[in-house]
Amino acid sequence: MTAAGDTARPPRGSRDEVVLAVRDLGKYFPIREGALQKVVGHIKAVDGVSFDIAPGQTVGLVGESGCGKTTLGRCVAGLSEPTNGGVYFGLETATKERLDSLLSVTERTASQESELEQLDNRHRVDRMNGDAWRRYRRNCQVVFQESFASLNPRQLVKDIVGRPLRVHREASGSQLTERVVELLAQVGLGRQHLYRFPHQFSGGQRQRISIARALALDPELVILDEPTSALDVSVQAQILNLLHELQQERHLAYLFITHDLSVVRHMADRIVVMYVGRVAEAGPTEVIFDRPQHPYTEALLASSPDVDAHTVDLQALEGAIPDPALPPQGCRFHTRCAVATPTCGWEVDDVVRWLEDVEGTFDTLRGVTRMSPFDAWLSFEDEAAAASLAATLRSEAIPQAMRTALEELTVDARRVRVRFTPVDEVQLTVRGSEHVAACVLDRA
Amino acid sequence: MRRVGELIGALLKNPTTVAGLTFIILLLGMAILAPLLTEPNTPDAYQMPRDWGAIAVPPGSPGHILGTTNVGGDVLYGVIWGARTSLRLSVIVVSLTVVVGVTVGSIAGFRGGRIDEILMRIVDVFLSIPELIFALAIAAVLGPSFRNIILALAVVFWVKYARIMRAQIIHVKENEYVDAARVIGDSPWRIYLKDVLPNSITPVVVQATLDMGNIVLVGATLSFIGLSEAGIAEWGVLVSEGQAGISAGRWWASTFPGLMVFLWALGFNLFGDGLRDILDPRTESSR
Ligand SMILES: Nc1ncnc2c1ncn2[C@@H]1O[C@H](COP(=O)(O)OP(=O)(O)O)[C@@H](O)[C@H]1O
Ligand code: SF4
Ligand SMILES: [Mg+2]
Repeated sequence: MTAAGDTARPPRGSRDEVVLAVRDLGKYFPIREGALQKVVGHIKAVDGVSFDIAPGQTVGLVGESGCGKTTLGRCVAGLSEPTNGGVYFGLETATKERLDSLLSVTERTASQESELEQLDNRHRVDRMNGDAWRRYRRNCQVVFQESFASLNPRQLVKDIVGRPLRVHREASGSQLTERVVELLAQVGLGRQHLYRFPHQFSGGQRQRISIARALALDPELVILDEPTSALDVSVQAQILNLLHELQQERHLAYLFITHDLSVVRHMADRIVVMYVGRVAEAGPTEVIFDRPQHPYTEALLASSPDVDAHTVDLQALEGAIPDPALPPQGCRFHTRCAVATPTCGWEVDDVVRWLEDVEGTFDTLRGVTRMSPFDAWLSFEDEAAAASLAATLRSEAIPQAMRTALEELTVDARRVRVRFTPVDEVQLTVRGSEHVAACVLDRA
Repeated sequence: MRRVGELIGALLKNPTTVAGLTFIILLLGMAILAPLLTEPNTPDAYQMPRDWGAIAVPPGSPGHILGTTNVGGDVLYGVIWGARTSLRLSVIVVSLTVVVGVTVGSIAGFRGGRIDEILMRIVDVFLSIPELIFALAIAAVLGPSFRNIILALAVVFWVKYARIMRAQIIHVKENEYVDAARVIGDSPWRIYLKDVLPNSITPVVVQATLDMGNIVLVGATLSFIGLSEAGIAEWGVLVSEGQAGISAGRWWASTFPGLMVFLWALGFNLFGDGLRDILDPRTESSR
């Protein structure tokens, strides 16, 4: 269909290539305070995420709002510089394996360093320049959530959709117009729409224009950041169908970002579940839906509108999402997990959080002296408040798991010492073929 | 294009805007057609012709419909060529200040960081001095001439555009269509030209319209207090020339040019306000 572009391009989607490899990706935003704008901390929006996307594959990236999906998508798109790790593009399987082995070495020799350096310069998105960068720009495109904000209100559809072709000097003049008409036809629009402005279209049509623009350069990968979330339900289905058809025709790989698992159920090959900047669970779509290993995934399934209740004891999500500037210890989900165990990362902040939840008690807290995230002195206004906290921490009002994890509870007049067993961050472990989850429970 | 049609339609719905536009058209018509309306003075048409045989004659006198000043200047000639002088002054000053202000504001807003800080510090210093006093001080230092009035006004009036432009750009560059253009691989310069500038410029256009009026008002004030050269066909100079005769009942030499300054400023302000209401980005995005 796109006659001009096809001949020049090498055949793609060979079994041998990985479209995208995300490795230990981190993106921290500094938190500034005061007149001098001093950095007082970091929002760890994305904090150590790794996954691959194969040619023609759809990876669904799911998680609640604020868990870092958009930030991750922006790093993948090259719109935002990662703080840690990297996004690799255009690796062959063998090269990818070599990269992984290099990355897994903690103390690299000089020759390994230079080999990694070379790989980085050729394949790491934030290091690319020249031809590699241009190739990436052609091959990785984005469809944003807000169709209105993502289309320049002062450009005609013809200029919006034709712009990528013009930038990469693929077409001009009447040839450009014809290419644009072809692209519009593929997304269900027509020649009559060429000379209109974005505000003259409906939300669904605008999203179609965005998709046409993303396809103009015939990319290998399209990042879809909640492409249907702003649309009416009936329109959502149409757009999803369109995306599915286009993928079949053009062998596109999708990174499909959504907060709603049901949206990617029929489209994703793999699902990556994110929670507060990290991967909670990742695996093939059927496995994630049928045998989820992480309680957070189960909770997402339970809150998803059209997921049939195949498991009886699905727990819905409750409680507040933790602040990504101060992620919980151990397992980040332990503050909301219904089946949390004593080794899930109970810490001083859980006590503070509990005080915040109970009306009036937080006001009596005067200060917290931390020896570690797990060990601190809490000082109160008076002895009664201290004694009352100690009594509560021993009572049924506190989850059994948290009480068990509490190693020391000492009251010293107006001060209370709480000390929990220190725990390391819960890591992803293999649960099956291509299936990983970060939970201390093994429910296989 | 449909948008332009919509815009004109909306403008014509508001009676005060239409009034402003009417004044503007009449005054500009007068300025442009000045050589046809009156015989240009030689060698310099911008200098008042002097009729030493008709000093301080009242309106309605033969050959001097609006009367003459007490140095024999024809008031009608001053009114008509004064419009041309005002047009020259405002177009030159607005073009200069818009170009400088938009450039400075764009660099500050688009680049950000240290450059932004330095440029905005300078802008703040300029903005802290009242316009009229600042222009007066500069013109006084440079010495009385029409060119120096242009210079003084240009020095004073660019900062507002820098400030408006910077604020607009900081807002506009957060839009996803800017990210979309980056994803395509377009260059920062073209992103600025195609995405950022066209979506930031509206308030500058409104301010420029208002300033077309304000500049003539401030310019006339400076001329009135004698910072322009004497004898040129400029409304402020004429008002000042006729001032001495007011106590003796010779009102016409000051009143007609004064009225012109008033109508000029009023016209552009009414029209600018109407334009602002219609082009306001808030009402625009809700369509
Ligand atoms: N530019 C930014 N500056 C500071 N914090 C940001 C920025 N972008 C995102 N964040 C923060 O990072 C976290 C993740 O945001 P985001 O990636 O938008 O999540 P999601 O797309 O999953 O809803 C949020 O806490 C958000 O407030
Ligand atoms: S590790 Fe597993 S059980 Fe423990 S809190 Fe996290 S999700 Fe719940
Ligand atoms: Mg998002």
